Amino acid sequence: MNTLLTEKNRAVRRSVRAFCDREIMPIAGEIDREARFPWEIVEMMGKLGYFGIQAPKKLGGAEMDAMSYVITIEEISRTCGSLGLCVTVHNSVAVYPILAFGTEEQKERWIPQLARGEKIGAFGLTEPNAGSDAAGIEATAIRNDDHFVVNANKAFVTNGGVADICLIFARTDPNAGRRGISVVVAERGTPGFVVGDVEDLCGMRANPVSSIRLHDCKIPAENLIGKEGMGLQIGLMALDTGRVGIAAQAVGIAQAALEEAARYANQRQQFGVSIGHHQSIQAMLADMATQVEAARLMVYRAAILRDQGKPFSQASAMAKLYASEMSSTVTDMAVQIHGGYGYSKAYAVERYYRDARVTRIYEGTSEIHRMVIAKGVLDEYK
Amino acid sequence: MGLHIIVCIKSVITTAPENGIVRSADTAELNPFDRPALEVAISMVEEQGGMVTVLSMGPPACAFVLNEAMAMGADRGVLLSDARLVDSDTLATSTALAAAIKKLVPFDLALFGTRTYDSDTGQVGPQTAVLIDAPLVTGVTSCEFKDNLLRVDRKIDGFREEYELSLPATLTIHPSAVKPRDIPLGGIEEAFNTKKINVLTLDDLEITPGIVGSAGSPTRVISMTRVTRERKCEFLTGTTDEQVEELLDRIKKSGLIG
Repeated sequence: MNTLLTEKNRAVRRSVRAFCDREIMPIAGEIDREARFPWEIVEMMGKLGYFGIQAPKKLGGAEMDAMSYVITIEEISRTCGSLGLCVTVHNSVAVYPILAFGTEEQKERWIPQLARGEKIGAFGLTEPNAGSDAAGIEATAIRNDDHFVVNANKAFVTNGGVADICLIFARTDPNAGRRGISVVVAERGTPGFVVGDVEDLCGMRANPVSSIRLHDCKIPAENLIGKEGMGLQIGLMALDTGRVGIAAQAVGIAQAALEEAARYANQRQQFGVSIGHHQSIQAMLADMATQVEAARLMVYRAAILRDQGKPFSQASAMAKLYASEMSSTVTDMAVQIHGGYGYSKAYAVERYYRDARVTRIYEGTSEIHRMVIAKGVLDEYK
Repeated sequence: MGLHIIVCIKSVITTAPENGIVRSADTAELNPFDRPALEVAISMVEEQGGMVTVLSMGPPACAFVLNEAMAMGADRGVLLSDARLVDSDTLATSTALAAAIKKLVPFDLALFGTRTYDSDTGQVGPQTAVLIDAPLVTGVTSCEFKDNLLRVDRKIDGFREEYELSLPATLTIHPSAVKPRDIPLGGIEEAFNTKKINVLTLDDLEITPGIVGSAGSPTRVISMTRVTRERKCEFLTGTTDEQVEELLDRIKKSGLIG
């Protein structure tokens, strides 16, 4: 029992867990092997409000708090990292920026279908030559009367292969540096909107991560989110929110690995006893459980700060850094406890291990997070 | 107008009660056998209009099952909670529920699951039906309204029985009747923010404490011990054909195949 949770938060956990255990858990291994995006599950999740967790009710969302959001992501990720990724990216870096910076017309145009999961959202910031250095993007959006002509090559776009709507970060003013970047909503089907091949990744294989390229793509001027030049600010604010989701995802994956490892340690016999009787296995399980709980508390703290309207950027960066690194460590130990079987695709911990790895990379690498956190610390104690 | 359907639900203990478990959201859950009854009630009201009231008896910590039912779509919750109800057996429970239902009149239907996950008696629905003096059909597999009459089916021993009932009536809903819906996040938000739980005590029910709680319970569980099932593994011998023959013979004798 987690004392930070309200009855409502617990109801969220129970209901999401019940759904995920019944619908996702049985197919999670299969969709990973087949690298298949499970539309049948996505449709059900849409009806349950998972694609508009914090969107207002009047726009088709569930209008929940950030705590309920992270619990939902944690629980989906406990059964399938790829779907946790799909849902968190959609909510935090596609729906949220439109809600936070979009006009009423833009919200009414895009949010209801996004919130019901009838359309899938994506976020196109990263490029082949611009990842951690977000200000280094080369995409351009040149204003021409009532539209922008956009040329962009966006790499590693989560949900890219299925996205109907993608936020594209591009330079509207080539001479304005960081302040020359803007964000426009590009819709699939617009001439010049090209979805690249789905990436053949190590983990998160059920998510169709792909490149999205825009070739002389005419995007109506009314698709600009916020004002020209606000792109980087919008992107970084979206990532602040997104980080809490990725941290929750990392906790969910690690929780799954912990549960599998403990079950296996109770079952597997060596030297005449279950391996859970051996001190070295106990030490690993103790460290795993402790680290999962520590990361979970950091995630919940960031969510609580957000719900209270307090600054949560530093807390979310710390939660993302710690949870993602913890997830790699904990899933690694789960493989170790399983021995040779843990290295086999026949056991789920192998998938958890692969899925956990990327949480240290996307939505800000561990290295960038350390820079961000360190800057906060240096500023605080000058 | 529309229908008023009362669904009686229970929070059940999810772990074996070896050392006296305190019922709470962490040790209990909404009885899975009550979910089909809730689904029947909610979808019937969605079609016909009206209101679903969920009624549960238990300590305040069990109000979460009412919230869960309201998140599914029930309109309001009533928690029957009083220290004098502790140790009620199935008859005392039915007595209290019947008294609460009489406070919630008028109603058209009172629905129950067929049994509970933890005590598994299946007695509360039928006993309550008698006490509220409403016709009862148990193990209902489908029901529909036609010309102000309720038609219900139940399956028993290879037969399908069809009943026609006048309202108000009582049904226990078989788990095979419907697949209960999942709880949407928006439903949870609504249940906690806008829907109410009304708490009733014995004083509200106007019944004497002597007919409920341990004093009103003619039965008492005097002990509970875990039953361990002996498992044994036996290897059949002989040629493959003989082993298959022997295996088939045993399966037939066990009644698994005819």
